[in-house]
Parts: sequence; structure tokens; C-alpha cells
Amino acid sequence: MIELRLQLNGRDERVAIEPAETLLDVLRGRLRLTGTKESCREGECGACTVLIDGQPVASCLYAAQAAAGRRVETVEGLAAGGELAPLQRRLIEAAAVQCGYCTPGMLMTLTALLREQPEPTAAQVREALAGNVCRCTGYAQIVEAVAGSVLPAGPCGRAAP
Amino acid sequence: MRACRAVTSIGSSVERTDSAAKVRGETVYAIDRIEAGMLHGQLLRSPVPAGSIIRLETARARAVPGVRAVITAADVPDVLAGWFLRDTPLFARKVVRYAGEPVAAVAADTLEAARAAVQALELVLEEHEAIHSIEDALRTGAALVHPEWRTYQFLPGGEWPRAGNVATRSVCEVGDVASAFRRAHRVVEDTFSSNRQFQAFLEARSAIGICRGGRYVVHTGHQYPFNVRDRIAQFLDLPQSWVRVCGHALGGGFGGKLDYGLEPYAAVLSRFAGGRPVRLAHSFAEDLAAAGPRDNSIITIRSALDASGAIIGREFRADLDNGAYTGEMLAMPGIAANIAGAVYRVGAARVESNLVYTNTPPTGAFRGVSGVAMYTALERHMDHIARELGVDRREYRLRHLLAPGDALLSGQVLPDAGILREAFDAVERIAPWAGLSNRRQPWRGVGIGACVWVTNPGPASVTLKLNEDGTVAVLSGAIEIGSGSFAAGVTQLVAEELGLRPTDVVLPEPDTDVAAYDSGSQGSRTVRMIGGAARAEARQLRAQILERAAHLLQAGPDDLELGGGAVRRRDAAAGQVPLALVAAADLFQAGPIAATARYAEPPPAFDPTRSSGALMPAFPGVSYHVHLAEVEVDPVTGTVRVLRYVVAQEVGRAINPANIRGQIQGGVAQGIGLTLHESLRMERGHCVERSMATYRLPLSVDVPDVEVVLLEHPDPQAPHGIRGVAEAPIVLVPAVIGNAVADAIGQPVHATPITPEEILRLIMAGEADPVAAG
Repeated sequence: MIELRLQLNGRDERVAIEPAETLLDVLRGRLRLTGTKESCREGECGACTVLIDGQPVASCLYAAQAAAGRRVETVEGLAAGGELAPLQRRLIEAAAVQCGYCTPGMLMTLTALLREQPEPTAAQVREALAGNVCRCTGYAQIVEAVAGSVLPAGPCGRAAP
Repeated sequence: MRACRAVTSIGSSVERTDSAAKVRGETVYAIDRIEAGMLHGQLLRSPVPAGSIIRLETARARAVPGVRAVITAADVPDVLAGWFLRDTPLFARKVVRYAGEPVAAVAADTLEAARAAVQALELVLEEHEAIHSIEDALRTGAALVHPEWRTYQFLPGGEWPRAGNVATRSVCEVGDVASAFRRAHRVVEDTFSSNRQFQAFLEARSAIGICRGGRYVVHTGHQYPFNVRDRIAQFLDLPQSWVRVCGHALGGGFGGKLDYGLEPYAAVLSRFAGGRPVRLAHSFAEDLAAAGPRDNSIITIRSALDASGAIIGREFRADLDNGAYTGEMLAMPGIAANIAGAVYRVGAARVESNLVYTNTPPTGAFRGVSGVAMYTALERHMDHIARELGVDRREYRLRHLLAPGDALLSGQVLPDAGILREAFDAVERIAPWAGLSNRRQPWRGVGIGACVWVTNPGPASVTLKLNEDGTVAVLSGAIEIGSGSFAAGVTQLVAEELGLRPTDVVLPEPDTDVAAYDSGSQGSRTVRMIGGAARAEARQLRAQILERAAHLLQAGPDDLELGGGAVRRRDAAAGQVPLALVAAADLFQAGPIAATARYAEPPPAFDPTRSSGALMPAFPGVSYHVHLAEVEVDPVTGTVRVLRYVVAQEVGRAINPANIRGQIQGGVAQGIGLTLHESLRMERGHCVERSMATYRLPLSVDVPDVEVVLLEHPDPQAPHGIRGVAEAPIVLVPAVIGNAVADAIGQPVHATPITPEEILRLIMAGEADPVAAG
């Protein structure tokens, strides 16, 4: 076992790990931060996306040791002080969350996008999300949550009576 | 657009009550759970599609450090289990029937030790010639996948025709088909094949089993907890009450988590590991290879046309691949009789559908089930007929649409079939056909199609209790599958009846020890069936609340109303009492306020003399759908871009329009994957695609924003007029994209998925033999 030190969601963290462990396994297994999701384990689905020094990374392929001394952000760190971040609110309001299993990874990818590009176009959002698979929503409401107008609560897409 | 009534959440897109926890990463999915002292399990699976077990030696595996249990067929009752037909062993006993079939299981302190123990198991097999395909299985003299098929038991109450490699056969005959074909001016025939599709839920299957005092407790993320309970009880030969299934949040199901998965193995491993909890979890790749995908099929349709081009006779035959064992697929042949003559009039008909055993992983339910392939074949065939006749494809459809009061081939009358015409009109308003079909841009095409779909009518029961803080808990065997049907739909119905905010409705996770029987989250049933029970019972609860509040407000129950989490007098005199006070008042004298109700529906009337072998002979909760797609084909790469996708869908009453839109958009996205790139090929009994890198799922850049029109003709049968919503949006996608691709490339499409390789092959075939498009 070796000791890994990193900055996790703004706090200094120390955790004993096996040298070959992935960051995903350390987050979920050792730190019990299960908000970061495990799915394909080959960097295809994006469910395990976290930010390392601000950059989205597939934590299932990332050696935990490589995070030493770095700034790691997970979904649990988004609601600073308990208040939902604006991005989290927008996903809820746009009905962009179904089973929710891809949502943490989506949130991290989009957090990184919005820091670089606060008002992205729909095409930019789609491009940014091309490495995050969602099996439920078909993406439209996720894209709308970030780009363009979120439809207000109430009637939408209904036929005229 | 219609304005919402301000006083109700019904019909408005209120937020789901579970989404805040999901965006915070706080939701505990089944795969996130741990138990103190938990062991890790692994399965040994058959490496070959067919063979005899010559030797299975466990001694070396038991000697691996950290191993707590090693079990095989010798350790469990010699029984077979099954949803409808008991043909499935927990472990292969003497023979293996598919590559991936469980042969043994181990539990160990660590996953690494469990894997090492599986490696140390010595399995010697004598491989047999396997039945690899539907064609193999139906060949005269073919080897039988189950030579002992005659000994298999159906569940009580069921008995369906079967023979050898045909696990069940459904036949429906209406009128004199032979005469229709003799009188025909023209006969049009097509054969279509469809491939398997993996549900690709992002949260892999997992289960934790705990055996204590002879009882089993299982934690799982599942669509249908009572089905898991029943299957474990069958496999272990126990009364159902000895098994308790606790359902937890699940990361997608889509039909793939309706039958048992790893739960029975986790349960029985715990027993042999001295009662320690045992967790089994698949990887995405293991699920891909083993979880029952959508069936592959071969469908042949012949239509007899009279001089006017009307269909006067139809033969429809569907052969569906069951794989090696039977789960929900037993219900599939019977739906053919409701589909083969749906939407358009067909005159006399003979429909035959066979569920065929092969030595491949068992198939199962996936949104739209075998109905997707059936409608794909029918709507491709309609395009073919219109082309033969030289009639516009949409015009031909409209001429032959079912009219109000026409019947499906099963004899079920559709009094509201006129909605089909309205759905065509609704699509026409936003995507005029003439403009799309006449605009001949190279490599662009358009397709249209329609379907009639069903709402699963499985019975529901709900208990509501008024908590002492004024909130209301909904105890049920159902779970929020992800669609919002529970965390918005049912929640809105309960809140509506009791004058609560949706956030004051609490949804405990299902527990088969606590809830009465429920048929699970499947077939778009939750809002209609559980909502039906919840509404009935909310009315009982309301009566109890008003009675209790009457003396607090010194009024008769009839003078009171509920709203804003309180009871108040209708005359607005003397204020109001909050529900919390009502719940607490007289608690020790009169007892808590709670109510239980059930909801079930009689099946629609049909003609029992027409069909045999149908598990679900009629279509309850009918809904109507028209889809349109416009595509562009890249003739160099063979890729297809879906430029435009339009859906008109009859929903009865839109309880939560934004969530409904999400179901339609998501269903279409899954359909685009099924149609264009999700390839789950079997090659000599083995899956070719082995990972997400090769099993290509639809991405954000692949799926257009679907244009949605909701039609609302309340179903007089159902509470609030609700018709099922979520399953149907996938049903027509391969049909209309298939029609659009055929239009674009000028060549008929007879198989899905239409991969780039297949499109290039079709284009080249067309250049070699330039016939008109189909």
C-alpha cells in the first residue's frame, strides 16, 4: 500500500491505495464517493468522468497515483455549501435526468465546458458530450439544459386542442 | 398549445422528486451498495454453445485462499424454473445449452480470490453440434436443443402449443385466406430479418444475497421485484415468502431487468458461505454477452391485392429466436395476431409465429419487444406494395387505414381507431409529405409509418399512509425505473387527490415483504396501473382525512376540502388545519390514517375462436402512433444521418409533458441505434461484439431533436384517461428510417441493423442491377 495525497473537492485528502488502482476504484471503493459511476471500464461511456486540474478525465482508465498532488473534482463537490450549482438546477428543470446513472459524468464534462465557454451553442454542447453515453434521454433535454432556452415548466410539445 | 390549469399539477411538467439526489450523486444505486462482511461472487460459464459435462472438479477451487463457497448443480434442487415455462436450470447439470450458461459459482473474501477460484475449477466438456440459428433449429431432422421438452411444466393456468425446437407457436386465422390468394390480381411478398439488440443499461446487473435462518434477502436494482422473488423461490424450491427482494434505484432497465439476473446465485452462495452477504456484479461486457437481449427474427409477409390495390388477404409468419431457455419471450408469438392486421385493413389472414430454441444466449424483453421487428416488416412491406402499384406511399396507407370500429385480427374492436388518421394529419401539419417526398435531393429519403401499441395490464396494488408530519408515503412493489413514471407521474396523481405538493409524496423503495403484489415497471404500465390504484386509494385516504378533520373544524366532511397540505372549510370560515395535525389528532384513539387499494383491468373483448397459443390475446390500453423520418446517406462511407424525426403519439392524457417528451426522444434514440449501428452478432453461438468500444451506442452527435406532437383522447377505461407512453416510441423507428434509407438509395432494405457496410453493399448491388427502390 502507498499513500496518495490529492486535493479532492477542495479539501486535502490522504488515502492508502494499491499502486495499480484506478482513480475510479479509489473514489468509489476506498473513499466511498459513489457519485462517480462505473460502467464500461474502458473509457467509452463517460459515466466515470471527473475533473483533474479542471480537465475531464475517464477515471476508470486513470491511475490513482497519477492524481497525486492534483486537484480532483467529483459530482459530490458541485453543490458548494449544499446549494445546487446552476448547472444542476438547469438539468432538473429541463427534465434532463432520467435514470440518472450518466448524470454525474455529464455534469463534470459540462462543468468543464461551461468554465471555458459560458454560453455554448447546441452544437458545442453536443460535441463536448460525444464521450458521455446516455441510454435514456436521447440527449435533447440535456443539450437544452445547457444551450438555448430551457422550456418553462408547463405545456410543451402538445398538440393544439 | 393549451394552457395548464393553475390549480393542478396534472398536465404540467413538474420536477421529478428524485432528480435533486441524482444530480448531487447521492442516489444509491444497487451497484453502489455494500454490506458489512460482504463476500464477492463469480460465475463459471460454459465456454461452448452445446456439450455434455464430463467432469466438473471443484477441489482446487476450494483450496484457493479466501474462498468461502463453491457450488454447482449438485448443491441446488434438481428443478427447472421459468417465468411461464419451466425449462431453465440454475446451473447446467448434465449438458450446457449456450456459451455463457452458468455452470458453477464461487464466493470469496475478495474479487481477485473469486476470480482465481473460477480459474481453478476444472470443467471438461464434450462439445456437441450446436443449433446456431433459427434456420438450423427448424430444419427437418434438426437436433433438439431440449430433447426432454415434453416433460417441461408450464406455470399453472397456462398451456401453449409447442413442438421440439418450437418452444411455443401462436396461430391466428381470419376468413378464407386461400380463396383471397386465388382471387388476387397481384401478390407481394417480402422476408425481413432483424438482429439482436442489447439493452445497454449503463448500470450493470448486480445483486447482494443474504441467507439467514433459512430465509433469503436479496438486494437488487430491478424492474420487477416480485418476479425475482418468484424465480428464486422456484430455483430453490421454496415458498415465495421465504424470499424477500428489496429493490433499489437502477441505472436503466429497458426490459433487460425484468427477469432474474444474478439474484438467485447471490442468494444461494450466501447460504453456502455461512450466511455472509455475497455480492455478484457483472461488467458491461459480461452483461453484453449474457443478459437477454432483444430477439433476432425472420419475418415473411405475403399480401394478396385485388384490382383496386386493396389488401384482401395476408399471410404473416414470424420466427423469433428464443435462445436456449425461455423467459418473457413466451408471450411474444401471441402478439403477432394483434400486429399483423393492425393499422391497415388486410382482409382474410393467417398469422403464425414461432418461438424457436437455439444454442445461443436466451433472448428477452427490450422496449417494444418483438413488436419492433414485426412493425418494421409490415411498414417496409407497405412501401413495397405502394411501389408495385405506383401509388404514393402515404396515400396508399391513408386509403387502407383502419376506421373507428374496425377490429384487429384477434377480433378486438378499436372504437377509437380514427385517431390513426388524426396522427397522420398531425405529422402532415409540421412535415408536409409532398414537400419532403418530391424534393429529390440525391441520397436523401423520407419514410413514414404507423402502429397500434399496448399498455401492459399487470395488476397493481398500493398502500398510502399519512405520515404524522402531513406527508404521504406510497408503498408499492413498483420502482422508479428512470422514466419519471413514479417520481413524477404517480406522485402527481397522489398529490392531486390529496392537495399536496409533489415533494410531500414519499416513495419508499419496493420490498416484497411489505408491498402487495405488483407487476413491475414494464410495458408503460406504471402511471396507468399504479396510478390507477393510487388514485383509488387516495380517495379512501381523503375520506379518512376529512372524517378526522371534521370535528377539528366543527363541520361535516362534505363541507371540507383538501389543498395546500391542509384541510379547510369550503365556506372559508374558521381557518384550516394542516394535515400534520389531522394525522396526529386522535392518533392514539382512532389509529393511523392509511388505505390500500388495488387496480386491475379486464382484458378487452376479442374472438377466442381465431387464435391459439397467445399469452396476451388482446391489446389493453391501446395507443396510436405515426412516425416520419428524413435521412441523408453518405454514398462513400455508407453512414446515415437522421435529418429530421417527427412523432405524433396518442397518450390519452399527458400527465407530465416534459417527461413524456423525454420518453419519446429517448425511445427514438434507442431506435436509431437499433436501426443503424447497434450490432449484436452471434457467430457459431458466440457474441462477436464484446465491449462498448465495438457495440456502438447512439451518441449526442447522432440523435436529432425529435419533433413531438401529443394527441390527447382520454381512454374511457383508465383513470384520467391515461394510455401507456414510454415503450412505444421505439417501435416504428427501424420501419420509418428503413423506409427513408430505401428511398434515399433506391434499393429495398430487408434487414436491420442497416450498418454502413450493409448500405454500401446495397448501393453496389443497385448499381449492378438497377431496379426501382422498395
